[in-house]
Amino acid sequence: MPAFLADLNPGWLLILAGLAAVFTQPRVIRQSITILAPLVAILMLATAEHGVDHLTFEALGLEMSFYRVDSLNFLFGLAFLIASLLNAIYALHTDDRLQDGMALAYAGAAVSATFAGDLMTLFIFWELTAISSVFLILKAGTRAAYFSSLRYLGIQILSGVLLLDGIAYVWHYTGSLSLQAFTSLNDPGAMIIFIAFGIKAAFPFMHNWLQDSYPKASVVGAVVLSAFTTKLAVYAFARFFPGFNELIWIGAVMTVFPVFFAVIENDLRRVLAYSLNNQVGFMICAIGVGTAGVGNALALNGATAHAFSHIIYKALLFMSMGAVLYRTGTTKASELGGLYRSMPWTALFCIIGGLSISAFPLFSGFIAKSLTMSAVAYEGGHDPAMVVVWLMLLFASAGVLEHSGIKIPYFAFFSHDSGKRVKEAPFNMLLAMGMAAFLCIAVGLPAIIPGFGFSWLYGLLPYPIEAAGYQPFTLDHILTQMQLLVLATFAFILLKRLSLYPPEKPGTILDTDWLYRKVGYGIVRWIDTVWAKLGPAMTAVFRRLSERTYDKMVATFSPRGVLARNGLSGGMTIWTSVILAVVLLLSFLTS
Amino acid sequence: MTDQTPSGRDSSGRFVKQAAERVNAMSRTTEEGIHPMSKVLFGWTETKNIGAILFWVMGALSLALVAADLLIVRHEKIAFANSVGFYGIWGFLAFSFVVLMGWPLGQLLRRDENYYGDAGGPPADIDPDLADAGAGQKSEGGH
Repeated sequence: MPAFLADLNPGWLLILAGLAAVFTQPRVIRQSITILAPLVAILMLATAEHGVDHLTFEALGLEMSFYRVDSLNFLFGLAFLIASLLNAIYALHTDDRLQDGMALAYAGAAVSATFAGDLMTLFIFWELTAISSVFLILKAGTRAAYFSSLRYLGIQILSGVLLLDGIAYVWHYTGSLSLQAFTSLNDPGAMIIFIAFGIKAAFPFMHNWLQDSYPKASVVGAVVLSAFTTKLAVYAFARFFPGFNELIWIGAVMTVFPVFFAVIENDLRRVLAYSLNNQVGFMICAIGVGTAGVGNALALNGATAHAFSHIIYKALLFMSMGAVLYRTGTTKASELGGLYRSMPWTALFCIIGGLSISAFPLFSGFIAKSLTMSAVAYEGGHDPAMVVVWLMLLFASAGVLEHSGIKIPYFAFFSHDSGKRVKEAPFNMLLAMGMAAFLCIAVGLPAIIPGFGFSWLYGLLPYPIEAAGYQPFTLDHILTQMQLLVLATFAFILLKRLSLYPPEKPGTILDTDWLYRKVGYGIVRWIDTVWAKLGPAMTAVFRRLSERTYDKMVATFSPRGVLARNGLSGGMTIWTSVILAVVLLLSFLTS
Repeated sequence: MTDQTPSGRDSSGRFVKQAAERVNAMSRTTEEGIHPMSKVLFGWTETKNIGAILFWVMGALSLALVAADLLIVRHEKIAFANSVGFYGIWGFLAFSFVVLMGWPLGQLLRRDENYYGDAGGPPADIDPDLADAGAGQKSEGGH
């Protein structure tokens, strides 16, 4: 590896390659760039020295560190780079310079932010993720995507502005922008940064930018979007807010509430967006376990393993729905069904993604989620409140099976036959899905050969020694998960047989975005209308008032005014001076 | 499919060719839009009474898994999780609750597809054949 590459943040390589791709017309060269760049970046990361500031820079008195790898950010960065490679392969059937370039630049921004060695560098690339990713929504080319992209950009920029505000507080009070974890939300700037991260992580009531934008993005764009922004926020929380108990409850709520929206949502890409919320909830909850500023080793391992697995299986699910959208022109459950006849490979890969996210044993979700569930259950052994959290996570696990494990594959590929007969997905899409499916299985296998299966992932976790001491494939772990999932599946079959499963209906499901898309927009429209009608009248009133005031003043103070008629104006000056002198004298005497 | 291999070709060459032809046939969608692999991977779903079969198989499996709790000693940190069938019952109830809540929530929260005035078609990067067909249908409708 050349010396200059060893010290270069792999994310920068992706950003530069992305910019080059935008200006590269020949498709073969451009697509070679989009595939080679992540491969070289993975190699760069694999050979990077840990715990060292590779690239430092001083500007305006700020010591900036652009590239620092450690045990916490390594796996996040690796997952982003793998996702970037899968995305590039998935997009090979398209010929779109802007989309190819921005997809790579967006991934690069996320990687650069992950390996940032100080808060200011994090902020710069945090903003770049927002700016580069908005093109992936705009590329859909629809009116809905256009308005959604504006809302998306506004909310993402708000997160960035809050982060900068928080950083200013931290700098002012501590004089340092190092990656030191906060110990309390009362620390200078902590609360503002917490909210900034919370927006990107799609916390409850701040979550609707995700369901609003991802399903409206282009076929390729939604796959790319699913990987980076929210997981970058998860990393940021793990870095700056480990062990903050507020995160336990926020995360637990995040796991539960999307489940109810997903069950009634008709657009399967929107179901996946809710599912994304739910999965991020597990990670946020895990980060919150433990001591503030330190966290809990098992739980932080769980959050990191979950993030890695989730990036792959969520990409796989978005890819499969993208393939369905590409061939049929829709992802509405009410218009789909029976597609396994035309798209059996896509159906198979979708099922593998569904089994992974549902955490069936032998799939990646199982070995990742087990860590979090065990950490929360352990806390529940001596804290009754954590028992409630644990039950919420268990409830949400059944919910995941409902919307991502069953609903997505069942209504797209099976259920009633929609009569749609289409071609199987293009080969490049199948290849990308096949690679993601391979990873979902390979990472979830028992470590029969040391270093393979789940032990490969566990060896890369932030606390590898603790991870090595944890065994997910115990008889009671497997039985626990199989009981939960098999009986939940049986509930599905029973409810379908009894016709108690709600039918898929077209429609818009109201969520908290109703507050700004209907109420907020309505208030702005009302103010606009009122202003348009009252404006001319108010202007006329002000004009009349000012004219009358002017006339009065002229009538009083002009050379022919009232004051000029009686006595000398010099007398008025003398009296004014006397009064001023008295006031000054009194002021001196009383001070 | 008849073998067109020249008589002088060795048997291994014939084998490779036949295998390649078979693979090719398995990856080619028929004119009816049925992919040959669909039979291999999911042909079982077309079995008669598959719904009833799945119901009884999954029912029996569920019972067996719950019964397995009688044989396996758990070491749960939360005491009531050691109860027989706890996870199964929780999974069944949670799933049923979520699904059944879909009825009232759908009534409460579902609005017209164009509620926000932005209902639109698919994104621009769908299959060009499909996009062309859609554009053709629109222009026919327009006339």
